[in-house]
Amino acid sequence: MPPKRKAAPGAAAPGPAKAGRTSAMSTPGPGTPRSLDSSMVSDADEDFDEDIPEEQKEREEFLGKEADDFVNSWAISSSKFQSRPNKAKLDAASVYFGKRDFSYLQLKPDHMNRPLWIDPEKGTIILERFNPLAEQATDFLITISEPKSRPQFIHEYVLTTHSLYAAVSVGLNPHDIISTLDRFLKIPLPDTVRAFIEKCTKSYGKVKLVLKHNRYFIESVDAELLQTLLKDEVIGKLRVHGSDEITTDYAPTMQGLVIPGTQNAAGVKQAALPAADKKGGEGEPAAETDLYTTLNEEDDDDDKEAVHSFEISDHTVETVQKRCLDLGYPILEEYDFRNDDANANLEIDLRPNTQIRPYQEKSLSKMFGNGRAKSGIIVLPCGAGKTLVGITAACTIRKGVIVLCTSSMSVVQWRQEFLKWSNINPDDVAIFTAESKNKFSGNTGIIVTTYSMVTNNRERSHDSKKMMDFLKGREWGLMLLDEVHVVPADVFRRVISSIKSHSKLGLTATLLREDDKISHLNFLIGPKLYEANWMELSQQGHIAKVQCAEVWCPMPTEFYDEYLRANSRMKRTLYAMNPRKFQACQYLINYHEARGDKIIVFSDELYSLKQYALKLNKVFIYGGTGQAERMQVLENFQHNPAVNTLFLSKIGDTSLDLPEATCLIQISSHFGSRRQEAQRLGRILRAKRRNDEGFNAFFYSLVSKDTQEMYYSSKRQAFLVDQGYAFKVITQLANIEKTPDLAFATAAERRELLQRTLVDNEKGGEDDVETDDLFGKAGGRGRGGAAGKKGFGVRRTAGTLGELSGGQDMAYIEQNKAANKQLKRSSAPQTKKAAAENKSSFFKKMAREKERTKQARG
Amino acid sequence: MPRAIRGVLIECEPAIKSIIVHLDSKNNDFIIEDLDEQHLVIKENMVFLLKQKLEERLKETYRPEEPLADSD
Repeated sequence: MPPKRKAAPGAAAPGPAKAGRTSAMSTPGPGTPRSLDSSMVSDADEDFDEDIPEEQKEREEFLGKEADDFVNSWAISSSKFQSRPNKAKLDAASVYFGKRDFSYLQLKPDHMNRPLWIDPEKGTIILERFNPLAEQATDFLITISEPKSRPQFIHEYVLTTHSLYAAVSVGLNPHDIISTLDRFLKIPLPDTVRAFIEKCTKSYGKVKLVLKHNRYFIESVDAELLQTLLKDEVIGKLRVHGSDEITTDYAPTMQGLVIPGTQNAAGVKQAALPAADKKGGEGEPAAETDLYTTLNEEDDDDDKEAVHSFEISDHTVETVQKRCLDLGYPILEEYDFRNDDANANLEIDLRPNTQIRPYQEKSLSKMFGNGRAKSGIIVLPCGAGKTLVGITAACTIRKGVIVLCTSSMSVVQWRQEFLKWSNINPDDVAIFTAESKNKFSGNTGIIVTTYSMVTNNRERSHDSKKMMDFLKGREWGLMLLDEVHVVPADVFRRVISSIKSHSKLGLTATLLREDDKISHLNFLIGPKLYEANWMELSQQGHIAKVQCAEVWCPMPTEFYDEYLRANSRMKRTLYAMNPRKFQACQYLINYHEARGDKIIVFSDELYSLKQYALKLNKVFIYGGTGQAERMQVLENFQHNPAVNTLFLSKIGDTSLDLPEATCLIQISSHFGSRRQEAQRLGRILRAKRRNDEGFNAFFYSLVSKDTQEMYYSSKRQAFLVDQGYAFKVITQLANIEKTPDLAFATAAERRELLQRTLVDNEKGGEDDVETDDLFGKAGGRGRGGAAGKKGFGVRRTAGTLGELSGGQDMAYIEQNKAANKQLKRSSAPQTKKAAAENKSSFFKKMAREKERTKQARG
Repeated sequence: MPRAIRGVLIECEPAIKSIIVHLDSKNNDFIIEDLDEQHLVIKENMVFLLKQKLEERLKETYRPEEPLADSD
């Protein structure tokens, strides 16, 4: 549609066109001159080990901002595609709908039988799940659009350029997309949407970005098209001048590809895969029309097609990509790994007994849909086997792999998983962290490292510098990006421009950020290839079924009065320490322990975490807990039937893997973070007992009424609600007042708690009440103990009020022992323990102290 | 000499009462008599102002319904 295209950068949308131009003005400085010389790669490497120059920072910032503009401009809502019809008529109700008044759209006469609605301005599609045609419509929508929200009855999908591209690349014809969509719609397909689909699908696949011998080339079968691109004022400047001429090459040929791990699967899949390859084999350089005509012929691949290309420098890849999208020729990033002879093959295959699950296979078949590796992101819920997906992808590509994770903990885990699921030689899986800097033995292999290791710009040790040069000087077949959602876009930019990989696969459970920068990932990595349906997976038993509930706990008046006066920090403490919440927590713990559940209680607030755990006499782990103690507590939680409840601070949000846990209670959380909510839910999704008959895991969120927590809580749930989870609101727990030993049942106790909370937190937040140290201090004064304090008489001493009044010394601690300590004590010799029982509490404490130091030494 | 002030009896949840007391604590211009957990007598001429202030306050706690994500 030439007229449309012309109209786009010109009159209708001056925004993006202008942005593209300015970027060209600002980038040539660092970009083009350097790429002139042939030693471009090593040159760029040195550049990266220095502190980031101002200029580059500015550029990154600029790119970030530009990406924003760009993402917006290319959405269907941009004025490119919109020609708002004049409102047919206004009636009394129009004001209530504002911009969302679609009453001008005519319903088809048989609309009752059709399941879809579409928003002509946003490309949002609404699916009625209860319609008899819903199943077919779902399959279709998953292919052409991205799922946005999938509760029980109404699903929401959205059409995007990337999703349409994915549809074309698996072999859907634009015409088919339009006619099928039209068939399912209750209204005739709006022209805007039709234009959008046509425009997006038409030019796909014409221009490709290829990495060859560590240099980037723009490739196309159509030499004229390349000339057009070269004449473009932005791209023309970014071309590397050494390669003035357009080089001509031959398109590679292909044969069938089978994703490992699926061989054992039914023949249906076997048949399906080669079919997909056939398309890829032929369709790669051809225009869409050819793609479908050749679809049915088995290809001999004798007739090699000419491919033309020119080189661009690696710094300018992003700019060129955007510019091409702007011109209407989106660049594909595909990796033809089976015909890559330049890079050595890696000896890796899945172990024969490894079988991947149907949804994992589906996600991978999207990645390798046409026999080549597409870059993109795969979204699977926590505990659904993201690692295995990554490993299977590596086994399919079988080239050098670089894995980036978030912590050195997960680096080790990834390596172990590789060894567990595949037959790779252990020497070929190397780790690059601050502690170990191995290289693989052969000429190719797998490197597992962290984001911070490869993006660190400060002065580094000789070893790591050498290692970085090694990483940068190679071409990698696959870059696996674990937990992609946590890493800021500029870090990605640095990683991606410094380490060259043919294809990138991002893995995450929660593709969302509170700053909404997720859309940048589409540029930097690729589109979302697959997003699993959580509800479906839990119905199939791959992840646990979860009942979610929000428990409303009213604030007692005295707490609420204080809450109104408090500053924001104190407010958080107060709504976490709400005694009614405490009671609810106690009640739920009792209830679920009686059912035989293993419970994790999450609290972001350290103070309340400790208070709850001490009062309820449960074990707890937080940032300050020592490694040995942590292991002991975790082991006990897993195996000891007497320890059923574990209190965790936010350190347990992600990395901990406790398949025993079946119930989760959240008492305080990080504001409105949807990600945290989803990650925490992930802790119980892999519950071991998930396949038991009628098994349900439980997720409770305790919320103090009439506080900000209510607002945050509704925000936090948004993501899970989109996945189809329903939150029940519980305003009253039945028979809570009959709980034995109910904490803070009387007003006096509540007031005492309030006073203590206020005093403890006033004197300066989280002092780590290390009981041992405290005791040592008191004892050091000569007499020790509560009695000793009184003997001091009138004397000027430095100390806190709480300490002098005895509120902080061991007398208090004795009553409220941390359950962690009891675990330790139980492992101590019995005789000593019996002897200790006859002594006064003070000597008991001393004896324990001695024992502990002994243990620590031994 | 007895003085009469026209007042309005307010019945509300304890939390709302707390907020009113808090609003009043600045210059004591609302409340005539604090009866119990759920009842207050306030000056009649201040009712309107109080309603306004209360509204504001509640907005801070329950922020207005988020505009639908696709309406921007």
